[in-house]
Amino acid sequence: MVEWLKEAPLYWPKIIAVLTFVGVTLWAWRRPKKFIFQDAPDQRLWRDLRIWITLIMSVQIGLYLYF
Amino acid sequence: MHGIDLVIVVFYLIALPAFGLYFKRYIKSDEDFFLAGRMLPWWVISLSIIGTQIGATDFVGAAGGAYRFGIVQAHFEWIGALPAMVVSALLFIPYYWRAGVYTVPEFLGRRYNLAVRIILAALWILWFIFFLGVLFWTSGLMLSEYLGLPIWVAIIATATIVGVYTITGGLAAIAMTDVVQTLVMFIGGICLSALGLWAVGGWEPMVAKITAAHPLHFNLFLPIEHDTYPWTGIILGLAFVMSPAWWCCNQAMIQRTLGARSAWDAKAGMIFAMFPKMLIPLITVLPGFIALALNPDLLGENADKSLPWLIKNLLPTGLAGLVFAAFMAALISSVDSILNSTATLLTRDIYQRLLVKNASSEHYLKMGRIMTLVFIILAVILAPLTKLFPGIFVAGSTMLSLFQGPTFAITLLGIYWKRATRWGGLFGLLGGVALASFLFFIRHWKFLDIAWISFLTAMLVNVVVSLLTRPEPLEKLENLVYGLVMKKHEAS
Repeated sequence: MVEWLKEAPLYWPKIIAVLTFVGVTLWAWRRPKKFIFQDAPDQRLWRDLRIWITLIMSVQIGLYLYF
Repeated sequence: MHGIDLVIVVFYLIALPAFGLYFKRYIKSDEDFFLAGRMLPWWVISLSIIGTQIGATDFVGAAGGAYRFGIVQAHFEWIGALPAMVVSALLFIPYYWRAGVYTVPEFLGRRYNLAVRIILAALWILWFIFFLGVLFWTSGLMLSEYLGLPIWVAIIATATIVGVYTITGGLAAIAMTDVVQTLVMFIGGICLSALGLWAVGGWEPMVAKITAAHPLHFNLFLPIEHDTYPWTGIILGLAFVMSPAWWCCNQAMIQRTLGARSAWDAKAGMIFAMFPKMLIPLITVLPGFIALALNPDLLGENADKSLPWLIKNLLPTGLAGLVFAAFMAALISSVDSILNSTATLLTRDIYQRLLVKNASSEHYLKMGRIMTLVFIILAVILAPLTKLFPGIFVAGSTMLSLFQGPTFAITLLGIYWKRATRWGGLFGLLGGVALASFLFFIRHWKFLDIAWISFLTAMLVNVVVSLLTRPEPLEKLENLVYGLVMKKHEAS
């Protein structure tokens, strides 16, 4: 493994993890609304899957910052 | 085991196949058998995904891992799953579902060529057979230890319980019994964790006690020199390659979403499965910590005994039966799904494609049932070999990591890049698997490192070979490639 990577402090992976959660959430919000609701029986708020993704990823960010 | 515990376990093992048998009446065609007639609602898909994903070995192994290495074990349920589940739900599943395929290799066969389909189906079938043998042996050990049965009786009993509803009811019976089993699993697991936390005096005293002896146990990331879980392996291998490969390309995970009643249910099934997935460390990792706080003497490989030790020393009569039923639920809900997926792969990708091409739906339904029975018998025969030749089965189980990276690479390129050609896909897959095998068998690399190296290699080979060969005709790629589907969306 390259030397500079060995010296990297342990908050690096934490930053990468948080950026991954943020990135996935932003990517989900960039999906067209029509695509998210495709075939859904109605347009009620709870059927917008992006909201649930945001909720779960927020909890994940909290956990990864805490531990 | 006390009388009341025995009653709970025996009742559970009899009620489960009886419930599964109820769904036999709905099975009229091969689509009913393999894809539940494409009628599964999102909540059934969610709980079935979780039931399939957690086996009893995960319970024991994750608790042992937490005991030895700490909270790093939770990565497998958090960063090693959740981002990939989002990608699977919003990028891969809609394509599989829209294409109307039964299997992931079938999709890749349409996108690339027949060779890619057959090779991938064969690799998955081989791996599933090995894994089934391991699962049956684990189940036999558990039943024989707790119920006092001879081990061969215990293995045949498990095979009968699973076989009764898997052969008759197909995916519908499997998904519905998985719902019950996942609930049993969580109720049993949470009871164990709650009692354990009470025994150690709560979260804070437990953390203080463990941290005094193991200062890194509550660090999510471990130094790069760590033998098992270096942070580079966790981020590059697990989070970026192995977990997307597992959640986007594993037939056992994907099959229940292909049986969804609508595209929204297929996506929602995967997204809502993220909630129980996120909570799994509460019933796997936390008991490992509790065992460490109560009994710090289980060193090295003995750490895997931490959960059985906890059950034996902590649980009162009645609860022990419930937690044991939760163990069996974890195990059976994985066995039934893998059996069904293996039968689907063999029937759709090998038998129907190469041997008998244009038979009736009833013929393929009958074949699906026969294949399921054959795999049950095969797994029962293979199960005792787990003990005789542990090396073979370890190799079989780890074979998965040898083709997961390359599979994910060609699937990702196949969906995202219309220039990827049939030869690019084939050589990308073969090149990635060849390199992974070399690194594992000859150079003895770690799995987590092999995963991302073989993934990058397969990507590179696919791109180079694709650019050197003739592009695929656009009409072949319709509904299979992201850019073309989005263009169609905008036009409508």
